[in-house]
Amino acid sequence: MSVEQPDASARTYESAVARVEEIIRRLDSGDAGLRETLDLVAEGRELVEYCAGELEAVSKGLEELRLDELVTRLEAR
Amino acid sequence: MSQSAPIVRGADASAPASLLPGPFPVGVYAGRLRAQLRGFTRVQLTGEVSGVSRSRVRIYFELRDAQGAIQCSMWRDDFDALGVPLADGLEVVVGGGCDYYAGNSTSSPSFHFAVSELRIAGEGDLLAELERRRRRLHADGLFEPQKRLPRPSLPQTIGVVCGEHSKARDDVLAGLRRRGWQGRLVWAFAPVQDRRAAPAIAAALRELSACGEIEVVIVARGGGSLADLFAFCDEALCRTVALLRVPVISSVGHHTDRTLIDDVAAVCCSTPTHAAEVAVPIDVTAAAARLAADARRLRDHGHRALVVRARTLATLSRAPSQQLDRQRRRLHQLTRELRAGSRRQLQRSDTAVGGAARSLARVGLRGTGSDAGARRRDLERLTLALGAHDPQRTLARGYALVTDRDGLALGSADAARAAGSLRLRFGDGAVDAEVQDE
Repeated sequence: MSVEQPDASARTYESAVARVEEIIRRLDSGDAGLRETLDLVAEGRELVEYCAGELEAVSKGLEELRLDELVTRLEAR
Repeated sequence: MSQSAPIVRGADASAPASLLPGPFPVGVYAGRLRAQLRGFTRVQLTGEVSGVSRSRVRIYFELRDAQGAIQCSMWRDDFDALGVPLADGLEVVVGGGCDYYAGNSTSSPSFHFAVSELRIAGEGDLLAELERRRRRLHADGLFEPQKRLPRPSLPQTIGVVCGEHSKARDDVLAGLRRRGWQGRLVWAFAPVQDRRAAPAIAAALRELSACGEIEVVIVARGGGSLADLFAFCDEALCRTVALLRVPVISSVGHHTDRTLIDDVAAVCCSTPTHAAEVAVPIDVTAAAARLAADARRLRDHGHRALVVRARTLATLSRAPSQQLDRQRRRLHQLTRELRAGSRRQLQRSDTAVGGAARSLARVGLRGTGSDAGARRRDLERLTLALGAHDPQRTLARGYALVTDRDGLALGSADAARAAGSLRLRFGDGAVDAEVQDE
């Protein structure tokens, strides 16, 4: 089985999760050899880190601000 | 203009002659224009009231929609008799016809639609107007652009257009909490209860979209009559929404209401809570739990891939020594069996030899005659000869055997001196002695 390397710039949370589940199905099948297993595990870990980062970004606590406050912040940059 | 109208010709021969009719006196022309306009068919118009003003005798207002506007006026007595609370933003139906005030040397002329009937637009009127606008937007292909925009599954920044103290605001927050979403929420409060809120809503949407950080926008308002929600059917607002680069999720009115913004938005939801859940389609809490489980499974697979294989290799690497041990143990066993077998065989042989010797002895004893007597005598003689050489017999005659303490025989005085400590062995025993020699 060839290990696909999806384009990281086009990655979305859903596509990453779908790929992780695909990897786990392949590993669960027991058909992967050592080299493929290690490659898949490495790819899966990288995707999990990406997904964890995405979740972390929307788990830090709700921040509420008005539109004019956001505009002021953006203009101050 | 009729050819019979009065004509005043100038006498300035230097000016270039025009081929157009006239010139006519303006008052005459204005009067003819008024007559012409009044001859137009009287009709009903529908639109939104704007700029209401009152004079002593007349009521003035503009009737507007997205495509145009017309100045209207009505006699004050007729208007007061209707009892209609005319206000800006109100959708009305008026009946009347065109009129033109020709003015004079001191007052300005003006065109207006002379209203003789006026009523607030009913639901049927609004629905008819809504349908006309819907057809125009659809014909311009404006229902599709928003629906083609990609929507993020985990937006980090969400814009919300709603009333500042509205229940819709609370509902949006409740929907986001239900998702476990805790990102950045940008409120663009707008007077959504106002029937003339469309420009303010459109401006808020444009500003949110221009920020660049907003990934999705929710437009939320609670329920109301179609007239109350008609701001969300504003054609200019809907054209703005359709062309935004940020996906808009609408939740206006109850689930039975269908405003025009619902048609052009990326997604139309029945409640603000639902709109929030559509804006964040992933349950963040559940997703985190599932991701943790996936991470554990990956870790386990990686662990098994290495550890199990390492154990197999270790087992294989131990196999040669184990094989040698097995062979060594087998060899020892065979050796023990061989020795035991040999002993048994020797015992059997000894037994057999003993038996044979005894048989021979018996045979020998039976063998009598001169040979046996001679042999016996030879044997006795040899015994006596051997006895003569027995050192014990010499010692018994009074001699002593000198040895050192280790039992080595000393055959000379020098050897005895050198040994120092001696042992003298007599026929009946031994004594130790020390050499005392000067």
